Amino acid sequence: MGSEPAAFLSALRLSDSFLPVGGYTASYGLEQYLNEGRLEDGEELRELLAAYLRRLVGPAETVALANANRASAAGDLEGILAVDERLHALTMPREFRESATKAGAKLCELFLEDGELDAAGVAFARRVADGETPGGYPVAFGVVARRQGVEPLEAALAHAHGFVTGLLGAAQRLGRFGHTEIQAILEALQPTIVAVCERHVDAEPAAMASFAPLAEIMGMRHERGERRLFVS
Amino acid sequence: MGYRDVAKIGVGGPVGSGKTALVEHLVPRLVDDGYEVGVIANDIMTQEDADVFRESFADVVPPELIEGVETGACPHTGIREDPSMNLAAVDEFTERHPGLDVVVIESGGDNLAATFNPELADYFLFVISVAEGEDIPRKRGPGVVQADLLVINKVDLAPYVDADLEVIEADTAAVREGAPFAFTDCKAGEGIDAVAERIEREVLFA
Repeated sequence: MGSEPAAFLSALRLSDSFLPVGGYTASYGLEQYLNEGRLEDGEELRELLAAYLRRLVGPAETVALANANRASAAGDLEGILAVDERLHALTMPREFRESATKAGAKLCELFLEDGELDAAGVAFARRVADGETPGGYPVAFGVVARRQGVEPLEAALAHAHGFVTGLLGAAQRLGRFGHTEIQAILEALQPTIVAVCERHVDAEPAAMASFAPLAEIMGMRHERGERRLFVS
Repeated sequence: MGYRDVAKIGVGGPVGSGKTALVEHLVPRLVDDGYEVGVIANDIMTQEDADVFRESFADVVPPELIEGVETGACPHTGIREDPSMNLAAVDEFTERHPGLDVVVIESGGDNLAATFNPELADYFLFVISVAEGEDIPRKRGPGVVQADLLVINKVDLAPYVDADLEVIEADTAAVREGAPFAFTDCKAGEGIDAVAERIEREVLFA
């Protein structure tokens, strides 16, 4: 850690909901938890997000992101594509894949148009645009972050923070949570964010896995949810 | 083909102002005039909403050119700060229908500050209703002021809500500073021709 100022600013930009990649339309099943009355209070919301971090963001998305970041640094297009394929294959709910690939495609498009990708990044972004690889968001994030000088651990932290704030924002818009309560939950989750990123950032692609069956079932039920304000 | 290769018309405005009714009049008319049209509606909240929407265009627009796009309870974000999910839906239309001429994008109901991102809509209509209050134009909301065409709907209700159409017209002319506006009664189909003709002239013949 101890990044260059420009890389630090890039990490902030990538983790900000101001980044126009549609992140605010994803709830990754959270809308269905609320539709079914499964979240009573802030404590339950915190526990749920901690579980998302430990079982999905860490072992699946962080592993994908960090390996895409390292493959990108090495100019290893095949390495990026392999990570992308594996992450897509282990993401069970259709809407989770949809949210991830739409945001990933938009992230690639944004940085490709700005001329902000290196050769491997350009090749990956073109394959995403042509539908030749899924273009999952964590993979695209890792590739884009690398070009901006953001190292794997910082990129993983920025991504995990963005994931958590995205879901907290969704919870606030759908449920009845106060702004100070939401900030308290975010603060309480910081040690978990750090722990899962540090634990999984150096894992090999073969270690990529996720185990969040109830979240996945919520994601699948959301497809036929009585109320849908979110894509997932 | 992608979203930059097709004309896009945004329809915004508050909840209940008549956006959907206007779209239901405009789309068949554009189809009649020989255009291939796609329709995107934001914030269709239930499957029932989606079914009603598809039924209303059942004989006019193929089902794969009708799409609902969720905007995460942020209707203004979906059309202004981050229109990426709407643009992704337009891209899907153009991939399947390279000859597509125009996509009509109806925003979720919002407040008077909602405007369309110029990369999402080449032309945008803002629909208000006289039943929302005679003073709506006077508030100078960005949607009312910046829209390419302001549509003032439900003129038939004016006598029932103590709204004076002459006051509304004078206020609107003042805040619009020469930009066009139109009065409609979408329920009876009145005033639609003028709106459709203006869109065809300014968007599709441009």
